[in-house]
Amino acid sequence: MRTEVIIKFTGFVLLFNAFFLIVSSLISIFNAETSTIPLLFSGLICIIFGLFPFIFVEDHDEISFSEGLVIVVGGWLITCLIGMLPYLMWGGEFNLINAWFESVSGFTTTGSSILNNIENLPKGLLFWRSSTHWIGGVGVIMFVLLILPHSTSSRLTLLNAEMSELSKFNFRYKARKIINVLAIVYVGLTLVQTLLLTIFGMSLFDAINHSFATIATGGFSTKNTSVAYFNSVSIDSIIMLFMVLSGIHFGLLYGTFTLKKDNIFRSSVVRSFVLILFLGVLFVSAKLYSSGTYSLWRSLQYGAFQVISLGTTTGFATADSANWPAFTHIILIYFTIQCAMVGSTSGGLKFDRVYLFFKSLRKQLTLLQHPRAVVVVRINDRPISEHLETLTLVFLVLYIFTLFITTLILTFLDVDLYTAFSASIATIGNVGPGFGEVSSLSNYANIPNFGKFLLTINMLLGRLEIFNIIALFMIKKGNF
Amino acid sequence: MALLIVAGTASIIEFIKLSRSVNALIEDNYKTIEASKTMLEALERSDSGILLILLGERDDGREIIKSADLQFTNAFVIAKNNITETDEDKHIEVIERFYSNLWEKLKITLDSKNKIGDMGWYHREIYQSFLDVKHAVDELMSLNQNSMYAEATLLKEKSHRAIMPGIVAIVGALVFSLMLSFFISKYYISPLSEIAEAIKNFHPREKSIKTNIKNEDEIKKIEVEVNNLIEKLVKYQNEQIG
Repeated sequence: MRTEVIIKFTGFVLLFNAFFLIVSSLISIFNAETSTIPLLFSGLICIIFGLFPFIFVEDHDEISFSEGLVIVVGGWLITCLIGMLPYLMWGGEFNLINAWFESVSGFTTTGSSILNNIENLPKGLLFWRSSTHWIGGVGVIMFVLLILPHSTSSRLTLLNAEMSELSKFNFRYKARKIINVLAIVYVGLTLVQTLLLTIFGMSLFDAINHSFATIATGGFSTKNTSVAYFNSVSIDSIIMLFMVLSGIHFGLLYGTFTLKKDNIFRSSVVRSFVLILFLGVLFVSAKLYSSGTYSLWRSLQYGAFQVISLGTTTGFATADSANWPAFTHIILIYFTIQCAMVGSTSGGLKFDRVYLFFKSLRKQLTLLQHPRAVVVVRINDRPISEHLETLTLVFLVLYIFTLFITTLILTFLDVDLYTAFSASIATIGNVGPGFGEVSSLSNYANIPNFGKFLLTINMLLGRLEIFNIIALFMIKKGNF
Repeated sequence: MALLIVAGTASIIEFIKLSRSVNALIEDNYKTIEASKTMLEALERSDSGILLILLGERDDGREIIKSADLQFTNAFVIAKNNITETDEDKHIEVIERFYSNLWEKLKITLDSKNKIGDMGWYHREIYQSFLDVKHAVDELMSLNQNSMYAEATLLKEKSHRAIMPGIVAIVGALVFSLMLSFFISKYYISPLSEIAEAIKNFHPREKSIKTNIKNEDEIKKIEVEVNNLIEKLVKYQNEQIG
């Protein structure tokens, strides 16, 4: 493994971060804020550490898969480390672990926060906080691949390391085209949402920040009471629409906009995903109304927003679901586990895996009845390989195992069971808010420090889809 | 180096801000808090003076009241000239109004001889006026104490911001030096060692040394020149033998 190549690529990641840090510091300078030096200084560190290997190390045409894996995982870790610097240097509620938590939560698009008073943050730091979502949303390496003119083979290697097998399923393009499609959809959705939010009364600054958080399915808001602050049906509706769009495979969205055959209307996975979201909204709203929690209209408004927000792993809130009936909690927990589609910006388990699991289950039941039958699992009329089926099942088991271990350790740290369980699901699923002490309008400030660190590992596992981390340890042991 | 310069500049800027805040803390709030304490002390002394008069110690009482009035007025002027907080001027106005009201009543006691032993007069007229002024001064002091607390919290944050660039720069410089030493080792020391090793293992039967240096830089030139030297030596040797 060539260390200099890995350093060079992670350097590119830092340069990309530097751009957003400098923009954030300009906002800070414009508003004469206390966050100017922390942001500017962090930007400078990124530039120095990014430019040095860029100048020093010669270009390499090819990179191996193990190098690609280290670049992807290392890129994420370095990004999270650099991302915490502005918080750490600014101070306030940020100590070492809180700054790390906020940074990892931002880049992994989890959206969990340790802040009690978000509105106390300077605008520059708020912009950086939302930028971490936007950088992490489509994957830090993806931007590097988009900007830098690397050879096809190295691009393909990095793309394979960054994207799961299942994510590539609906992309019938070459590596370069996939990257372009992702970028077009990502930037396009962000611009359109910003425009709509501004038209419907949000300030440009809030609109940009909320669009960054929506399209990245992150959930960081600039307000203490999240989207509830705006108390506007039109703003809620725009955010709901874009949360759903951001939870759908970007390849299918691109296909829909460009009138291609592979579009959201022909995809059985999208149909099922939207149907389940619709059923979730229906059940939650019905229970909220029947239990007398809200009026019919409010039940629909709050129920729909919360289901979509958690179902797409965004994590915005318009109401405090902690006080809702237990039945709604169960449904919301299901959506927190299920997450949105692969190929989107959402993290966690992903709906496609749940879908594939049930298809595989049906296949196994058929094989029990007809042991000699040849049954092939198909999604959108395309056969799924046994290898992909097995990978999905192994992923499910690993996911549940990680969830169990995290909950166990959190309860050992005297966190109550409900909070521990929901915090574990919310972080590994990159959703953000859970229930109990970490509910939608609350935060993670009261979780013990080691618990916070553990939850950041959960976030990274959820974002990097567990396998990458395991594969990385296998490289270290020389088994890969 | 650049990191350390920027960190040093950032720290200096933050420390200047810090020292300004310390000055502001002392100038703005501490002065008024001290003046308020003096006003309260003067009020206590006036109270003692009035009680002495009522008990028949007229001369001593008058003396104490006059000196307490001077003390109060001096402290009040300091507070009045040091309005730094929002609504502080309103507190000053209230103190001024209540104190002049108290002073009117004190003057009656000072001028009149038939107030000796009239404790009812003290309770009816003087005592409530004393309490009004004391309460107003207390409020002025609280306003400045709260502001001082807020400023102290801010100072803590400013000192944090002054120190952090230095710490980050030191850690950054350490990591950077590690990275630099890695690159120096990779691109300069290792190739030189490789050439040295190749020279050491050179066998006279071979016509050149062999390394894996791919860069076309000065180190590659050394390898080329060593090979040229070997070639010349071999040629010279052959000529000698021939």
